[in-house]
Amino acid sequence: MSDPNSDKTLSVHDLRVRYGEREILHGISFDVPRGETLVILGGSGSGKSTLLRTLVGLQPATSGEVWIRGQDIAKMSEDELDETRKKIGLSFQGGALFGSMTVGENVCLPLREHTQLEESTIQIIMRLKLEQVGLAGFENYMPSQLSGGMKKRAAVARAMAMDPEILFFDEPSAGLDPIIAAGIDNLILKLKKAFRMTIIVVTHELASAFLIADSMLLINKGDIVAHGTREEMQNSTHPRVRQFLDRVPEPEVAEEMDYLQMLTGEAPPKAL
Amino acid sequence: MNIVTRQQGNSTLVDVQGDIDLYNSPEVRKIILEELKEKKVARLIVNLTGVRYIDSSGVASLVEGLKVSRTMSSRFMLYGLSPAAREVLELSRLIRVFEVYGTEQEALQAK
Amino acid sequence: MAFFDSIGRNTVGGFAYVGGLARLSGRAAYFTLIGPFRGKALRWSRAFHQAMAVGVEALPILSTITFFVGLILALQGAYELRKFGALQYVAGGVAVSMTRELGPLMTAIVVIGRSGSAFAAEIGTMKVTEEIDALTTMALNPVQFLVTPKFLAMILMLPCLTTWADFMGVMGGAVFGVTGASFTFGGYVQATLDALLKRDIITGLIKAVMFGAVITAVGCYEGFETGGGAEEVGRSTTSAVVMSIFLVIIVDLIFTSLFYLLGR
Ligand SMILES: Nc1ncnc2c1ncn2[C@@H]1O[C@H](COP(=O)(O)OP(=O)(O)O)[C@@H](O)[C@H]1O
Ligand SMILES: [Mg+2]
Repeated sequence: MSDPNSDKTLSVHDLRVRYGEREILHGISFDVPRGETLVILGGSGSGKSTLLRTLVGLQPATSGEVWIRGQDIAKMSEDELDETRKKIGLSFQGGALFGSMTVGENVCLPLREHTQLEESTIQIIMRLKLEQVGLAGFENYMPSQLSGGMKKRAAVARAMAMDPEILFFDEPSAGLDPIIAAGIDNLILKLKKAFRMTIIVVTHELASAFLIADSMLLINKGDIVAHGTREEMQNSTHPRVRQFLDRVPEPEVAEEMDYLQMLTGEAPPKAL
Repeated sequence: MNIVTRQQGNSTLVDVQGDIDLYNSPEVRKIILEELKEKKVARLIVNLTGVRYIDSSGVASLVEGLKVSRTMSSRFMLYGLSPAAREVLELSRLIRVFEVYGTEQEALQAK
Repeated sequence: MAFFDSIGRNTVGGFAYVGGLARLSGRAAYFTLIGPFRGKALRWSRAFHQAMAVGVEALPILSTITFFVGLILALQGAYELRKFGALQYVAGGVAVSMTRELGPLMTAIVVIGRSGSAFAAEIGTMKVTEEIDALTTMALNPVQFLVTPKFLAMILMLPCLTTWADFMGVMGGAVFGVTGASFTFGGYVQATLDALLKRDIITGLIKAVMFGAVITAVGCYEGFETGGGAEEVGRSTTSAVVMSIFLVIIVDLIFTSLFYLLGR
């Protein structure tokens, strides 16, 4: 913790990631100071989930660096990486709840595995976390008995189980009704205030983004289009940013011949 | 983290000093439950003045203390919450569940 | 040319596959044997649940199958032996074939169908739903968490199941012995015990342990190799069964040859 960079909980330098031959992220750099919330915006398939996966070390980077709490994750040993992972939480886009365990057991699992807490204490923590995401009383349900939105919230509860220093959310409120979604925003704000958590949220909900973000990052097809504070983004004149914020649809295919070729499969679509 | 208990009239005070986290909250829990269950104290007052940070396991330990105090029909009080600790209890909607006082004096004089 | 090409490719692929199995087994072995001394707890309760699923729940079907196999062996043996008027050797024949070969093999086949496929399906589903990734981000090693208990359960349960299978096979043989070959039940059992050497039983149990390791490694490996999508889980499950049967036969061949050479 004596590291001068330690106020930057998360630091990414020129990150490139590819699946096979196809490069998904083309050199991403940004910092997140401790206790701040970064919102990552971007269209579907622009590489947001891939970015999160790389940040927590699930997906190896082709090049570039990811520093978490002052350490380069590529240089960590397996044990060091595990120690770091105990201090971060990730709620997956699809929930990724363990289907063979109840919702309660899902939340208890990291506490049972990584702490010496008494079972009675663990049970109370689990109920606290489920209450915070609006799932009080659902601890004995199996994930298969929950709706999609409830699974997401259970995943958020599980990610928070260990009171992590850094919390990653992959589209936490997609598909939730507006009241529940507002509840999640509220929770994020409270977590930040109560625990000084560093929070990284991928979302499509602009209203939510402007409510919770300290800074925002707009990604398009693997490149950072814009990165700035909430105000800077709001006032940006960058066409891509305006397009995203003003919800302008993608322009129609300009050339009729290109369109015909694309339909008949004679030429690969240019957008890729 | 450091815990000391002391007697003040008919009240037992538990002074906690330092952060309460996943690794040391079991100790807080143990001492609180010991006072309530074994020593059967009438009033247990937890002094959190020296606690900057308390995590969910710390909160859970306090909840356990409160629960046991109810079954033992003794009083369980907190005082000296830092803004962060207050925030954590509020996050869990527990601030109104506990008997919370500003100072030791207020806690001791509470009816 | 294309034929040799494909043989070449398949050979390389085969080595890669076996390499993958070996790596997985090695890591599971690390967490079983060395991990506990480095503060990585063994998951006895998970292993126990696995052992129940692998072992106890397999008993009804395994008993039935091996009972009939014993009976079939006796019938087939008697078909030849009666030509020489040597029907009294049926008991020994059944006993030796069961303990050395068919007990372990039939057990392996049943366990592949019940558990090897289930391992692939379980882990494959977890891969597709990102549960494996979730384990990793929670600092829970998927091999330690999922594979090690299965290895423990299988390596302990297969010899037990095999012993039971041997017993049921002898019982099946006894049915023929008593009804078709003028044995008394006691006489049949005595003839079985006389014919069996300790070595027969031990070689069978060694095979059983090896089969257990192979089935677990293949089932789990296929699970982890599952790509995206639910249909991929089906493919993994099928290929876990096919590969396990194939590799069990290969391992059987290797060990049988070894025991043959050592036993001369
Ligand atoms: N496991 C994978 N293998 C190959 N390509 C992938 C894989 N995961 C995602 N992709 C591709 O990477 C791109 C970015 O995906 P993703 O990060 O999920 O986008 P987002 O979360 O922004 O919608 C997509 O084009 C997707 O097809
Ligand atoms: Mg995504």
